Amino acid sequence: MDFTISLLYFVVRKIIRLLLLIGAVAILSYTLMCFSPVDPIDAYLGPAIMRISPHQREVIAQRWGLHQPPLERLTRWVHNVAQGDLGISTIYNEPVRAVIGKRFATSSWLIAIAWTCSGVLGFSLGIVAGVHRDSLLDYSIRLYAYIVASAPTFWIGMLMLTFFSIYLGWAPICCAWPVGSTPEEATLLQRLHHLMLPAATLTLVGIAPIALHTREKTVEAMHSDYALFARALGEREWGIAIHHALRNLALPAITLQFASMGELFGGAILAEQVFAYPGLGKATVEAGYRGDIPLLLGIALYTTIFVFIGNTLADLIYLLIDPRMRQRRGWL
Amino acid sequence: MSLALPPGAQAAKDSLVLAVGGENAEGYDPLLGWGSYGNPLFQSTLLRRDADLNIVPDLAQSWNLAPDRVTWTITIRPNARFSDGSPLTAKDVAFTFSKALEAGGKIDVSPLESATAVNDTTVVLKLKRPDITFIQHLIGLGIVPEKHYGPEYGRNPIGSGPYKLVRWDEGQQMIVEANPYYYGPKPAIGRLVFLFADEDAALAAARAGQVDVLSLPSSLARQQLPGMRLHVVKSVDNRGLMFPTVPDEGKTTPNGVPVGNTVTADVAIRKAVNYAINRKALVDGVLNGFGRPAFGVADDLPWDNPAIRFQDNDQEKAKAILETAGWVDHDGDGIREKNGRKAQFTIVYNAKDSLRQGLALAVADMLKPIGIQAIPHGDNWDRIKTQLTHTNVVVYGFGDHSPLEMYKLYHTPGPEPMYWNAGFYSNPTVDSYLDQAKGSASFEESIPFWQKAQWDGTTGFSTQGDAAWAWMVNLDHTYFINECLDIGKSQMEPHGHGWPITANIHEWKWTCK
Repeated sequence: MDFTISLLYFVVRKIIRLLLLIGAVAILSYTLMCFSPVDPIDAYLGPAIMRISPHQREVIAQRWGLHQPPLERLTRWVHNVAQGDLGISTIYNEPVRAVIGKRFATSSWLIAIAWTCSGVLGFSLGIVAGVHRDSLLDYSIRLYAYIVASAPTFWIGMLMLTFFSIYLGWAPICCAWPVGSTPEEATLLQRLHHLMLPAATLTLVGIAPIALHTREKTVEAMHSDYALFARALGEREWGIAIHHALRNLALPAITLQFASMGELFGGAILAEQVFAYPGLGKATVEAGYRGDIPLLLGIALYTTIFVFIGNTLADLIYLLIDPRMRQRRGWL
Repeated sequence: MSLALPPGAQAAKDSLVLAVGGENAEGYDPLLGWGSYGNPLFQSTLLRRDADLNIVPDLAQSWNLAPDRVTWTITIRPNARFSDGSPLTAKDVAFTFSKALEAGGKIDVSPLESATAVNDTTVVLKLKRPDITFIQHLIGLGIVPEKHYGPEYGRNPIGSGPYKLVRWDEGQQMIVEANPYYYGPKPAIGRLVFLFADEDAALAAARAGQVDVLSLPSSLARQQLPGMRLHVVKSVDNRGLMFPTVPDEGKTTPNGVPVGNTVTADVAIRKAVNYAINRKALVDGVLNGFGRPAFGVADDLPWDNPAIRFQDNDQEKAKAILETAGWVDHDGDGIREKNGRKAQFTIVYNAKDSLRQGLALAVADMLKPIGIQAIPHGDNWDRIKTQLTHTNVVVYGFGDHSPLEMYKLYHTPGPEPMYWNAGFYSNPTVDSYLDQAKGSASFEESIPFWQKAQWDGTTGFSTQGDAAWAWMVNLDHTYFINECLDIGKSQMEPHGHGWPITANIHEWKWTCK
């Protein structure tokens, strides 16, 4: 009973925080967009700019609601968002919700695979490095993690593309399924084939923080009193790691894993750009370049919620798994 | 696994993969501007320009502009059908034009007063005032079906063009098939796949043999692609230097942007720059030979005036013009002065565009020996268009299949300046020719006036006259095309590389067995 009330309290508090966060993000991004030097109408017109009279610009501004003063537009936008209407994307001429929905469906594959792989691999590598501290294996894993953590995602993506697609010809060069065939014709295998390289890039990058973090914790656990005690009882190193340290390692790793959903999103933007993978990341870049205020705001809100959910899940899982945390927060 | 094979290798004769850019992210809606560059593919237009840019009938059988110069009467072919089989009538044409007025897209039909269907095959378009350049809308505006048109139309276009949309995976590809109801000759290629990949990805795909038609910037055109040949298309896609033609008197635009440049306001400076530039060297050096010298905004178009050509790379003539006008180097620093002002200006270019940068740097070098100091300066596009354009020499690119562009570039600007005529060029004689051209009774009749506006023997905006711009080069558009594909004769293309190649797509043929 107490637990249910605590959970309810937790959820309510989180929702209030989310609302405050959304408000702040909306106002901040809107203000930034207002100061952007990109004129959305010019960006929209492109070379057609020569054929357009001032009158026609008015008509376009009218269609997009740009003729109103900024504050009024913000108020109207907030009002519409409250009713679930994110407006119409100017570059796609389609409701923002539909644009995000379609693109996210494509991106979610990429993010889900990269997220799972980087979590599992990062965690395993971290433990291996931690158990074999200062061995050649540990050095290699750390070196790899440091290099990848400091290299930009798009650069790694370009290296992967050059090597595996162009030089070796193993992976496709672009797109989410084979050129010329429809998504219905494309088999699961073909889709995975097209996902391989961007997902691998994101995974390679995502491994680094989890591996490094897990390694630290492993080292710590392997030098703890209970590890010493187990060692005294004749337990082998790997036995200690699996039977005693793993439980303690899992928690920070899970937190980190869920908190990294935001980074993954950022990484996906770059990876999609490099691999011409038509997901939300690519749409974000387009929206920025071409001054599509409704779409960019919509994506900002969407990512805010996405990252927030990731963090909240991390908190919640922590609470559910670790009784000490519940105690500290007065849940028990 | 057979599906993984590129369709080009599978059924080569009936299916092509094209990577020519040109995804219209907002959908294929002519009323929002789709097709006004190149060809709308899914829709057909009343008139069309053939390979030699002559105006020829398409959906229209006959067209006539009444002596009042504002009433177009157009008779359309009676047998036209949309891709869903329903008939195309004059009502659809009238609907298309009236709806375009309020659609708020990339086309501007604002000269139109009303569009009415008289019967099933006759439509009457009434303009607010005479404007012969309106004919461009008869050429460019694809006709949409009244009963299918709505906010969703752009994603499900139904039209009477040679092809119909089968599916569109946004950001990735578009598949189209021949429209069985098309009234024209059946296209030889039944299925086209347009690949919307970035330049690098498209090139890589072409190397892997997955692409049949690839558009590529000329800087990348000097390479070999297996099974493909280089196809070079002439264009009016030009690059020129825009000069501010009014002196700096501390004035600003209504938005507070400073106006005027006292150095370039002197016609002697503008002429000297024009004569000093070695255009052939620009083509060879900056464009890798893919282009031709530009002398005007409409080189080789029907309304181009051949009399504006001149001998460039003539430093002696440039120097003489400057001397006569009083620009002399008194202090011996290699830069001329007049009234204590140095012959110096900044050439602004879009920093992202390496071609424009190359032109700006090369021209600056060419002007040094005649005693003019030009300082190249790269900046971002949005700042150039709003802040820098009225006080600096700017590298711009234009080139359209309609002389309306000439009107906008050279006619005295209205109270609110736009990017066209950013230099505030104004000449009452030129204005009068341009207005007469616009008010002509037919397109043919307007041509002499467009030509006179350039140079009438005594005045004009070209180098012989006011030298309002220094046009430098016309680009060639470069494509790689499967050796087995015959794409016929390509039209001289407007500004914008890629999609215009599809203008004659219904004539494309596969030649290999």
